[in-house]
Amino acid sequence: MTNNKIMFTNKTKSLFLSSVVVLSMASCGDKHNDPGTEFAANMYHSVGYEPLSQTEGDTNHINPYGMNMRLPVKGTVPRQYYEQAIKKDSIDGDLLQMDLVARNIKSGDMASSEALLTNPFEPTEANIEAGKLQYERYCIHCHGEAGKGDGAVAKIYKGVPVYSSDALKNLNDGHIYHTITHGKGRMWAHGSQISSADRWKIVLYVHQLQQAP
Amino acid sequence: MKRLKIVALTAVLSFVASVVSVKAQDAAEGEQIFKNNCAACHATSDEVLVGPGLKGISGRRPIDWIVKWVHNPQAVIASGDKYAVDLYNKYNKAQMTAYPNLSEAQIKGVIAYIDAQAAPVAAAATGAAPATGAAPAEGSSNGGMMQYIMIALLLVMVLVLVALLSIVSSLSKLANVSPDSPEAQQIPLFQRIAENGKKIATNSAFKTGAALLITLLIGKATIDAAYGVGIHQGYAPEQPIQFSHKLHAGQYQINCNYCHTGVYKGKGANIPSANICMNCHNAIKRESPEIQKIYRSLEKDEPIQWVRVHNLPDLAYFNHAQHTNVGGLECTNCHGEIAKMEVVQQRSTLTMGWCIDCHRKTDVNAKGNAYYDKLVELHNKDHKETLKVQNIGGLECSKCHY
Ligand code: HEC
Ligand code: HEC
Ligand code: HEC
Ligand code: HEC
Ligand code: HEC
Ligand code: HEC
Ligand code: HEC
Repeated sequence: MTNNKIMFTNKTKSLFLSSVVVLSMASCGDKHNDPGTEFAANMYHSVGYEPLSQTEGDTNHINPYGMNMRLPVKGTVPRQYYEQAIKKDSIDGDLLQMDLVARNIKSGDMASSEALLTNPFEPTEANIEAGKLQYERYCIHCHGEAGKGDGAVAKIYKGVPVYSSDALKNLNDGHIYHTITHGKGRMWAHGSQISSADRWKIVLYVHQLQQAP
Repeated sequence: MKRLKIVALTAVLSFVASVVSVKAQDAAEGEQIFKNNCAACHATSDEVLVGPGLKGISGRRPIDWIVKWVHNPQAVIASGDKYAVDLYNKYNKAQMTAYPNLSEAQIKGVIAYIDAQAAPVAAAATGAAPATGAAPAEGSSNGGMMQYIMIALLLVMVLVLVALLSIVSSLSKLANVSPDSPEAQQIPLFQRIAENGKKIATNSAFKTGAALLITLLIGKATIDAAYGVGIHQGYAPEQPIQFSHKLHAGQYQINCNYCHTGVYKGKGANIPSANICMNCHNAIKRESPEIQKIYRSLEKDEPIQWVRVHNLPDLAYFNHAQHTNVGGLECTNCHGEIAKMEVVQQRSTLTMGWCIDCHRKTDVNAKGNAYYDKLVELHNKDHKETLKVQNIGGLECSKCHY
């Protein structure tokens, strides 16, 4: 083989070389770590601060690790429902009231949650259906479809209880809300992932599962 | 007096009868109770889940103790019972749930069930076999696929053979010297090839052909490269932690939204922070070096720096909630089968043409959305086709460009 190459004329050599170039250009896309050529690259690696972006070179000098996101200041409460709060009968108002109470309950204080928190959402069909949807997104892989503790992850995670068991079938609104928000025992806190409105809707659906045979 | 005696006698009789059947019936009720209440933390074998395996518990502990324990484990520990305290410490102070409402008979039923389970272990093992046997069944459906692949391979091999034969024949032509040349056999092979090659190369038809071929190839490569500028399709960078969607979203069926918390609510889908991983990895695979990286990140309060895969230029605006929540699109429409990917790869081009193309073809998800009712009504008045995204302004520059 190598002998063959030696005898190549200049012309065939250039043909060979150009085919190598062509092949390597065509195979550029196969390099998984290379995003490829970029025209106006600074449009992709933005100078403006995007929440999750990785800026190259011009990183954020104010925040640690060049992050563009920061945690909210401790103790602050989002005011997204603030205007509705004055309107007494709106669901947003009820939700804000409940939020303000819940945020003042410490993570270890299950008793206060049980005593003070009630679900601002009525158990209407639409609300329960919405709760089911959120349950399927956040809880089902551990607690299982019917709340029997038989989700796909439960086998590995272990210790996931049955909602309709004697110990859990009478848990009230506040207890379940507290469990989702701050965790309990082996279950860790899910409050950072789920909005408080969705947590309350999930509580409605868990009540359904507690009654299941 | 007589009557009373008979009553007493039947009572005794029925009591005996119930004692006889107690084992079977209680064990059945016990199974129900065990599965509902205890199975989350205890196995009926030796296996440790959250608490110890309960095999042989009736031999290990007196029945009174077990009843007291199940009614209120914390009280037993607090009472200073040495066995209980040692056990509690051995299991890292994991708290067992209290079951004050279980009657003594029910707890005995549970123990009867555990004892009954302990005997036929072999039967349980064979019972489990068919479940794992499901995988080979899937493999046999692959067998059909295999045949096609084999046939395709055979075809390719035949083609290669033909190509090789033609190369050999042309090479032998090259190597040939006119037979009347006496010193034909003296000229070395390669010199012969070179001389014949030169003859062919000077042939003008061959020259133009080769030139044409080269320009065509270079031209195609240039055009391909130009079209590829700014397109990251196929990009699948190595990540700082070998996180697998195939394992998490595929095998363990964790919903995308569990980790990508913003995907139905906001513009960005969000990448999970380490505390979300910890919801499971506080217990799962703690010793794995990849998981240790999560712990290190938390200890140092340092974010995990994932490498971004999908990235639109700053000039374009894309919103997830509009597409997933309002439009009802699946992740697979744009990202491909993420749940089957070991490493995330960008499957779509993310060009403007790609966005526009879909907006031309896709119906607006107007069902059950009162916001669109009037629009649909107006649209249906003078159009035959259904309401597409382009009809609600999905092609207007300002919708996607700030
Ligand atoms: C990572 C797996 C996992 C996920 C996800 C999970 N849980 Fe749990 N959950 C557990 C475990 C384990 C326990 C048992 C806790 C204990 O008692 O130690 C538990 C216990 C509970 C309890 C009973 C608490 C008590 O008082 O004993 C409730 C109610 C509950 N979970 C609701 C939820 C809801 C609602 C969600 C979805 C938002 C959810 N869980 C998501 C694992 C999980
Ligand atoms: C939340 C998990 C959990 C549940 C649910 C649970 N246990 Fe336990 N159990 C434990 C743990 C953990 C221990 C070890 C002692 C400790 O750490 O408190 C234990 C210990 C025991 C022991 C003593 C074991 C020994 O080896 O001496 C018995 C008996 C027992 N459990 C019975 C039950 C029964 C019966 C039920 C159901 C009605 C039940 N447990 C439900 C967690 C649990
Ligand atoms: C257990 C958490 C988890 C689940 C569940 C999960 N993801 Fe991810 N996803 C991640 C993490 C962490 C990354 C960043 C690392 C990477 O790219 O692999 C990521 C990255 C991605 C990316 C690439 C982001 C970028 O940089 O462009 C896409 C797209 C994605 N996920 C889609 C999905 C889809 C679709 C599903 C559901 C089928 C899903 N994910 C489920 C954790 C998760
Ligand atoms: C809902 C539960 C859950 C969440 C959340 C989760 N994982 Fe996992 N993870 C698992 C399970 C289950 C396994 C498989 C363990 C096994 O095969 O024994 C696993 C395995 C892994 C492995 C392979 C470990 C090894 O050595 O084999 C890595 C790496 C990993 N996860 C990273 C992550 C990261 C990073 C996150 C956060 C973005 C995350 N996981 C979130 C459940 C979870
Ligand atoms: C209509 C197409 C489309 C659909 C449907 C879609 N995505 Fe995306 N996704 C994109 C585009 C485009 C980007 C790049 C956004 C950017 O760079 O600003 C992206 C980016 C992402 C990212 C990277 C982080 C970010 O927010 O930029 C993740 C993670 C992600 N998508 C997850 C999902 C999940 C999970 C779903 C399904 C629930 C989903 N996507 C559905 C088009 C889509
Ligand atoms: C898989 C199909 C699909 C792709 C790909 C897609 N879209 Fe869309 N897009 C939709 C649908 C469906 C809607 C209508 C949602 C609704 O019901 O309001 C929509 C709506 C929009 C809207 C709002 C339009 C309006 O009038 O309110 C914007 C902006 C948008 N898309 C931007 C983009 C961008 C930018 C991209 C490319 C990065 C993209 N889309 C790719 C299907 C798609
Ligand atoms: C559905 C959303 C959408 C609409 C509508 C849209 N664009 Fe775009 N456009 C994009 C996206 C996404 C990109 C980025 C493509 C890429 O990164 O390759 C882009 C890129 C461009 C670019 C190229 C910029 C560059 O530097 O490469 C131009 C120019 C442009 N758009 C002009 C327009 C004009 C003019 C219109 C109106 C007629 C329009 N666009 C409508 C989504 C849209």
